[in-house]
Amino acid sequence: MKTNLSETDEVKLTAYALNELNAAERVEVEKLLTSNAEAQRWVAEVRQTATLLEGELKAEECPSLTSEQARKIQKQIHVQKQGIWTRQWLPSFRLIEVLVVVAAVAVVAAMLMPALSKSKNKAQRVVWLQQQKLTELKKQLAGETSITVAAPPVSVSDGTSAVFMNSAPAGPANAESASVGQTVDTQVPMLQVEKRWVAPVSGQGGRVVGLQIPRQSMVAVESGKRTDHGLNGYYRLKQPSGYNTESYAAINDNPFLMAQENPLSTFSIDVDTASYANVRRFLTDNQLPPPDAVRIEELVNYFNYHYPQPKGDIPFSVNAEVAGCPWNAAHRLVRIGLKGREVTRDKRPPSNLVFLIDVSGSMNEPDKLPLLKESLKLLARQLTEDDRVSIVTYAGAAGMALPPTAGSDKVTILNALDQLEAGGSTYGSAGIQLAYETAKQNFISGGVNRVILCTDGDFNVGVTSQGDLTRLIQDEAKSGVVLSVLGFGMGNYKDSTMEMLADKGHGNYAYIDSLNEGHRVLVEQLSGTLVTIAKDVKIQVEFNPAQVNGYRLIGYEDRLLAKEDFNDDKKDAGDIGAGHTVTALYEIVPVGQELETTPGVDPLKYQKPAKASKAAGNDELLTLKLRYKQPEGDTSRLLTTVVKDTDKSYDRASTDFKFAAAVAEFGMVLRDSPYKGDADMHSVWEQAKANVGKDPEGYRAEFLTLIEAAQRLTNQ
Amino acid sequence: MTEDKSEWVRAALREHEGPLMRYATQITGDVDRARDVVQDTFLRLCAEDPARLDGHLAQWLFTVCRNRAFDLQRKEQRMKPLDDIELAAQPGREHSPAAQAEHNENTSRAQRLMRDLPPNQQEVVRLKFQNGLSYKEIAGVTNLSVTNVGFLIHTALKTLRQQMAETEAKI
Repeated sequence: MKTNLSETDEVKLTAYALNELNAAERVEVEKLLTSNAEAQRWVAEVRQTATLLEGELKAEECPSLTSEQARKIQKQIHVQKQGIWTRQWLPSFRLIEVLVVVAAVAVVAAMLMPALSKSKNKAQRVVWLQQQKLTELKKQLAGETSITVAAPPVSVSDGTSAVFMNSAPAGPANAESASVGQTVDTQVPMLQVEKRWVAPVSGQGGRVVGLQIPRQSMVAVESGKRTDHGLNGYYRLKQPSGYNTESYAAINDNPFLMAQENPLSTFSIDVDTASYANVRRFLTDNQLPPPDAVRIEELVNYFNYHYPQPKGDIPFSVNAEVAGCPWNAAHRLVRIGLKGREVTRDKRPPSNLVFLIDVSGSMNEPDKLPLLKESLKLLARQLTEDDRVSIVTYAGAAGMALPPTAGSDKVTILNALDQLEAGGSTYGSAGIQLAYETAKQNFISGGVNRVILCTDGDFNVGVTSQGDLTRLIQDEAKSGVVLSVLGFGMGNYKDSTMEMLADKGHGNYAYIDSLNEGHRVLVEQLSGTLVTIAKDVKIQVEFNPAQVNGYRLIGYEDRLLAKEDFNDDKKDAGDIGAGHTVTALYEIVPVGQELETTPGVDPLKYQKPAKASKAAGNDELLTLKLRYKQPEGDTSRLLTTVVKDTDKSYDRASTDFKFAAAVAEFGMVLRDSPYKGDADMHSVWEQAKANVGKDPEGYRAEFLTLIEAAQRLTNQ
Repeated sequence: MTEDKSEWVRAALREHEGPLMRYATQITGDVDRARDVVQDTFLRLCAEDPARLDGHLAQWLFTVCRNRAFDLQRKEQRMKPLDDIELAAQPGREHSPAAQAEHNENTSRAQRLMRDLPPNQQEVVRLKFQNGLSYKEIAGVTNLSVTNVGFLIHTALKTLRQQMAETEAKI
């Protein structure tokens, strides 16, 4: 629309039409309006357009926060109410404290300068303080509320310690600065640098790991005055509830279902254990994990249970046990356990492994790339001359860091790992394509062909959508190259993406929070991680309504299948690796016990409810059906087992049963599940403690310390 | 925090969660990231003094939300060799033709019209008409002068009028 009005007038008229003028300006504009028809028309048109825009724009959908986030805010309101984090004291020490940290970091830097100058390489490969973090620190000084500064970790295998400031000018290595450092040091005795990386809770079995690098960079400042604020005297600079872009898919606990209406329960097995390691990471950092990070089946499956080895040509044994339910005395608990055939190390088929390593800037954290390198070195040491290893990196561009190399050529492999450096932004899709091409070029038929993606999961640059990425992975899995995902790091961790990728790629997904975990996944369970012994393993349970009023599958929320999918060989499901155990728990409401369910539908008008068959009259509790395919096969095989309830009490259940129940309870309490019944951290601890049983690796003992941590945090 | 203050935060949450989520999604182009931003905004609100924000709560929320969103964008895209990250981060990211077609079907007429506006105009138009902020409040949120905001909104409306006239003419 063209007018003869000046632009200034037009702008004023628009503002007038939108009621944005003050009284004096309005008078002026109204004068113009009385004499100018064009001005009048413009005002009318602006109002019309505004109404239209408002209507359209206000109708645009508003996404909402996740329920977990809403809870977190409610919790914060609550915390504030109790006066724990009030403004009265926050500013009073924050400034001083930050200054102390700045001073202390400088002190450490200054003190270590001589060492640095003697051995620059040593120092450089260890630690740094990013310029950006200094900038953030300055922001904090300016009065921001959440503090997300991480100061450099210090500790290396050979005992050298150093702080290296990569962009801020590091203090000169002369006597003067050193003496200044000492002076300040005596005044500030509370600088303490965390040295923990090796999983901080060590089990009774005491796993020994050679290398120690702090798994989280953090400076803790201690002060007698503030030990009362519930953080053990540590002022956490890495604020847990602050700025965080970790993402988890929402989990809604499976509800109780009536056996009469829903006699079939179908799901895919899941051998992942990532959630346990992730939960451990939270708890050892003195935080309760977000409920959506707690996948109960992954907690339960983290532990080995002593199921028998399979017999005959079936790749896994199928076991079931029924006993009382510890958190609800009126209910029964069914434990279904699968145990994959063990493959001894010397019988492991040759492997063609392509490591696809994220070397983007976000991996530049001590618990990411450095931990990744050390973990992969552990794996590399297990390989033989029959194996092939390649390394593809991705960041700004994808590149080949190690062309296919025999597993026996350890020097070359270890060197290539050593030379990886972080930098650049993540461009996941090109790297994945290159990795799959490499894997296909070196395909070992009859062997293991696997791309192992190592990342913090942040595929945020590049145009390829997640849909394209999953399609690619799915297609490649059909060609025989499977994908495993190793997750690292925190704060920016995309749990949901990684689980989904491993799921589509027919692989497993592990979260590596410490070198111990790296050892567990890549050495102790190497065969299971690499060698698939059965694929598309599905479980379908048919409950006998004459025995079972209702049931609930504990966990496996994202693994549920439609009942029709069970017999459909085109529907993918989880794979089981050599030696893997898979455990699933059902909570059963026996007949005669009341079942709280959502209000059902009205009775049908034109049909009568199905009548029980003759078989229902016997004392069978349920029929367990399994379908699986051989690793190379396309047609599934069916296994069927009948399970009866022998009225075994909880007390008489096996140690493994009770321990698995305790782990499930732990998950339910952490998630604050509506189905947790009488369970609390104390009951979890008692059951777990009494049922550690044989625990050569110390995993169960470690679990006890996690329960204690969770109990402490819950009580706070 | 007194009972009054908790209620104040809860009321703010009820009233502004949706609009802030929509706004943050427009900036970050991603609902999950928007969630993090909005969660953070409300966590910060918990530490604020209601009296201090009296009368300009909406402006404060949108300002904090916007700053957090751009911080996040900058953080995640700091390696991106573009001069003006803020503009690139605005709505209208590139999509494959198929995705674009799908996108078109799902977008409202207003969104289609808005798409051709420069990002800075889109933002002020949304703040004004979608979220009901005044010129002055928008100026506070976006760090522009009131005059500048008035000019951007005027220019945007002019373009939109023209487009609508053209569309109608075609039909």
